[in-house]
Amino acid sequence: MALLDRIVRWARIKSPWILHFNSGACNACDIEVIAALTPRFDLERFGVLLKGTPRHADVLVCTGPVTRQIKDRLVRIYEQMPEPKFVLAVGTCACSGGVFRGCYNVMDGIDSIIPVSAYIPGCPASPQAIIDGVVKLLAGIDHPETQAAAEESKPAPVEDRPAGKEAVEVTR
Amino acid sequence: MASALFYILIFPGFLFVSVFGLAAEYIDRKLCAKLQNRVGPPWFQPLADLVKLVAKETVMPVDADLTIFRLMPVVALTAAITALLYIPMWGPQALFSFQGDVIVVLYLLTIPTLTFFLGGWYSRSVFSMIGAARSITQLFAYEIPLFLSILAPALLANTWSLSEMTVFYGQHPRYGLFNFAGFWIALTALLGKLEKVPFDIPEAETEIVAGSFTEYSGRLLAFFRMTINIEMVVGASLLAAVFLPYGLHLGPLVGFVLYLLKVLLVVALLSLSRTVFARLRIDQMIDFCWKYVAPVAFAQLLADLMLKGLLG
Repeated sequence: MALLDRIVRWARIKSPWILHFNSGACNACDIEVIAALTPRFDLERFGVLLKGTPRHADVLVCTGPVTRQIKDRLVRIYEQMPEPKFVLAVGTCACSGGVFRGCYNVMDGIDSIIPVSAYIPGCPASPQAIIDGVVKLLAGIDHPETQAAAEESKPAPVEDRPAGKEAVEVTR
Repeated sequence: MASALFYILIFPGFLFVSVFGLAAEYIDRKLCAKLQNRVGPPWFQPLADLVKLVAKETVMPVDADLTIFRLMPVVALTAAITALLYIPMWGPQALFSFQGDVIVVLYLLTIPTLTFFLGGWYSRSVFSMIGAARSITQLFAYEIPLFLSILAPALLANTWSLSEMTVFYGQHPRYGLFNFAGFWIALTALLGKLEKVPFDIPEAETEIVAGSFTEYSGRLLAFFRMTINIEMVVGASLLAAVFLPYGLHLGPLVGFVLYLLKVLLVVALLSLSRTVFARLRIDQMIDFCWKYVAPVAFAQLLADLMLKGLLG
């Protein structure tokens, strides 16, 4: 069985299919993600393919802070992906909320909503940084003990958040 | 009994055709990458994709008809593998042959498209239903030119058996050149059958996510991916047997190597068109097939009939 596990883990590392999701980014990170997929950087070398449907995807590549509008959609897309699944937060906003942190209409970083496996900071994160982040994510898959440690330190899903950040009345 | 199991499981059955299908997918993707000035995937990429998909969770949509949803990928794979048994590979004689096997092969190659339709339709997702409707619409556009272009050489050879056709064209190599137009028609139809660019309208990922396969994941998706790979190999073998039946009398080994080269040629042409063209709209595709491809196929049929009449 150990051999089978190793083969499966090898296949997972060699074939990460990604789904690109804009959770409220300004488009700069999206352009960089698209740039990383162009022939110049050629992510297919590492087996990365961009997929249209969450059912086919292994890695959810999220850009931008989570707006309140898109929160439910992000959770839904995440839940539509089959296990095992990983989330990549691309850009400073996706990591922490960036300049939008604390705004009345955003929920900070991706990890305030769904568990994140790897963070790629940058405003915007360059294609090189994105590829480096993907490689580090895959290295994490290769060492399940670090992955398990990361799982434990993940924050709770958003449903458990205190009610302090609920809708704020805005006067014009 | 043992030999039947060997035929079904090892060669030319499941194992051989799976490896060949994965190799064909690798060549297709690598060639496409090279034509786009990229490095492309490593050689084990299709295998890694397959193993990963098999090991992944298979999500069952709540609204789907689970019997059909689960059954269709298996039916598709079975039909595609069965078709190869009737195609001559290492010599003029296929493993099994009878009068009418060319029709059987053509219909076995239609079954995967029908399963894409049924599987997509019973997934009950908007995207997969649109994709399913498109794949069946497309079927009516390319299927008739494909049948005409494959049956015209059969008429000329005066047989409905692929093996006897190969024997006939082996004895009269120049007649094979006469079906030149038919080769390109069949290649065009094969692009539609495999749902590859420019005819990837049923799974247009920029419009309808992934078409019929939108709701498929894990093991079932792996089955469908294998089906498309094997369909590519079997379609290419059919084209090789009908339009390029040369060198098969040189013995099993040379014949088999030549067969592999012919299949690779067809796969290379498929990936070339995948790189060069952009996706058509469904109405443009049907217009193209009915206005240009079908008339040429009819002309090929008429020409074959006339040649046959002239020769008596």
